[in-house]
Amino acid sequence: MKKPWIAAAAMALPLMLTACGGSTPPGASGGGGGGSSPDTITIGSVHPLSGASAGDGQQMDNAAKLAVDDINAAGGIDCLKGAKLKLDSADSQGKPEVGQSEAQRLIQNGAVALLGTYQSAVSQNVAAVAERNKVPFVIDVSSADAILQQGYKFTFRLQPSGTVLAEKGAQFLSDLSKKAGSQAKTVAILNEQGPFGTAIAKTFSDKAKSLGMNIGPQISYDPANVSDFTTQMTTIKESGADVLMVAGYYRDGVLAAKAVSTVKPTLNAVWGVANGAFDTPQFPGEAGAAGEGFFDVNYRLDMTNKDTQKVVKAFKAKYNDDIRTAAVLSYDAVRVIADALGRSCDASPAKLRDAIAKTKLDALVAQDGPIQFTEAGENENATPIVMQVQSGEVKQVFPEGSAQTKPVYPASPGQ
Amino acid sequence: MTTPPRAGGAPLTEGGTATAQEKEADAPPPSGRRPGWRSSVWTRLAVSFGIVVIAVVLAYLRAGNGVVVWQAVLTGLLIGGVYGLIATGLTLIFGVLDIVNFAHGAFLAIALYITVQAVTVLGVHPYLALIAAVPLMFLLGAAVQRFVLAPAMGKPLENQLLITLGIALLIDNLLLLFYGGNPKSAPLPGDHGIGVFGAVATLSRLLAFAVAIVLAGLLYLLLQRTRLGTAIRAVAANDRGAQMVGIDTRRIYMATFAIGTACAGAAGVLIAPLVTIEPTSGELFNIVAFVVVVLGGMGSVVGALVGGLIIGLTEQLGGLLLPGQSPLLAVFIVFVLVLFLRPQGLFGRIG
Repeated sequence: MKKPWIAAAAMALPLMLTACGGSTPPGASGGGGGGSSPDTITIGSVHPLSGASAGDGQQMDNAAKLAVDDINAAGGIDCLKGAKLKLDSADSQGKPEVGQSEAQRLIQNGAVALLGTYQSAVSQNVAAVAERNKVPFVIDVSSADAILQQGYKFTFRLQPSGTVLAEKGAQFLSDLSKKAGSQAKTVAILNEQGPFGTAIAKTFSDKAKSLGMNIGPQISYDPANVSDFTTQMTTIKESGADVLMVAGYYRDGVLAAKAVSTVKPTLNAVWGVANGAFDTPQFPGEAGAAGEGFFDVNYRLDMTNKDTQKVVKAFKAKYNDDIRTAAVLSYDAVRVIADALGRSCDASPAKLRDAIAKTKLDALVAQDGPIQFTEAGENENATPIVMQVQSGEVKQVFPEGSAQTKPVYPASPGQ
Repeated sequence: MTTPPRAGGAPLTEGGTATAQEKEADAPPPSGRRPGWRSSVWTRLAVSFGIVVIAVVLAYLRAGNGVVVWQAVLTGLLIGGVYGLIATGLTLIFGVLDIVNFAHGAFLAIALYITVQAVTVLGVHPYLALIAAVPLMFLLGAAVQRFVLAPAMGKPLENQLLITLGIALLIDNLLLLFYGGNPKSAPLPGDHGIGVFGAVATLSRLLAFAVAIVLAGLLYLLLQRTRLGTAIRAVAANDRGAQMVGIDTRRIYMATFAIGTACAGAAGVLIAPLVTIEPTSGELFNIVAFVVVVLGGMGSVVGALVGGLIIGLTEQLGGLLLPGQSPLLAVFIVFVLVLFLRPQGLFGRIG
């Protein structure tokens, strides 16, 4: 009986030591603590590296790594004697409680800032951890408005919030269809039934009604196990709606596209709002002709920007994968943190937080201006733009300022 | 949950295997069943059919549009065929080995990726992947049973359950490691919508449905008309008895698990054109497949097929009757009702 006890004590000792080590002020993995200049500065990245969203999560983590490498290659943080950045990656598995404990662990391992996390529910928990530990947290992707309605001081969001996405989604539909001379009259809505899809659908339909459009049938579905949309699409076809708004994720978006091409409803447009499928590089390939002409209103990597093109190319070269907008936002999140470090010249989380709050940095995604945060931590120039699948490629089409080509409306999808 | 060897419970002709009844611990005792339900398969089919007709009429009253309801019925049947196809392999393993195989979805995912390989690397028709997928999955199933599950046979049920869960996690993450998480696809060349009396369905779904029926038929014949099938049924009914008449139960366990896994392989290839292929794609079907298996009766291939059709229809008609709810709500309402009236499932016996 003695031996196991000793072994257990031996195991517990280093654990206790590391726990104590974690309570020292984070941010100083080399050199002195607090205000001096360490050799490396650790940034924590929390993304779903396994589980159902692993595809996006791994891309986002890779993009953050790429950003760190690029910044280090360019000499690191100048005013901190060229200190190098180091990315400490954690897997949230897409689960709020795992994300929370991983965020805690990263902070204890010395991360001076966090970025992530893709799922709103995870971001919600990580934001709480960041607030408690007074470590800044830059959200790359997570749309739920509620995250920044808690009065948090340490959380900042790069992507436009759900409300902005949905309201602009309705506004752009009205503007674009009016300009094309066949204004949208009746909009059918197909949305996933979780908080994300429900919130988008509600805000969109309120705004659309105020702009004079009718809302046709609104159909919600369970994205976790839907396997066919032909019944829903037949209901939409019979309702006589002229536009179909879809708010959902990748797999269901592809199924919706297939159902459109099978049922062939008489629509002028399939109009995604923050859709997880219609603006991805894979979508035209997987949906084929079925996805031609589909619109999506979403945040978007700005292909008219030279720096973005460079990142797209570098990502392709390094990971042999087409980077998606979510991952570009992760790249931007690292840039925001590095930029703030360059201005604070201090790797302590509190100083870093103040510097991030004063950010004014050009973004790699399409925006109305540079990245700037409001009091609440929202990126005030974040905006979605309209994209359309044209000849098998996703193109930026509206508003004109960020358009690569002209929109085709009516698009008559599935015809 | 007693452990094998199982005590001989219900007779082979009715009420499923002994294990089937042992699993329904909180269901009313067999004596509580009404005799009318015992009569025949045809009565049960007729009752099921009658309930479906009532559901269709209700859906029509609710939706007020015949085309929509007919589309829902057609879609439901076609999806149901796919569910049945996935559940056939599971029901066999469930019924014979008494293993709740959580890895079934993961085996399905392997077959999906074999199909992707065939389409992207070799550039062949996705259905040709059957030639590789079925034997490969058969061997994999045999190996998994022989080397991983066999040592746990006769141990408490949760051992096997955790092992299959572990295998599922392992496969999911190996697929993630090798193929990455980005979604892949294996489209059927020349896939298009086909009109069926005003409703539409894609060629790939019609084909998957047709093959599901054929496959279930072949499996039924295998179980009913071959020596191997007879032995499998004997082991399912009473494995100690089977041992006493000279059946090598260990080999039967291995063969059954391999056949079940091969079924998952075939199902994976057939549904590959219908779904977005990701490492976790198989899990989507896991819950539904388990519901189908228990609804149809554990170990019953015909039950799996009929159960699949019922669940498919329930999902679609339920979507019309209860708009804005998860399709699983209607599915579980039906599931609970069936279990209440007929705890051993609709066709609770082997074959």
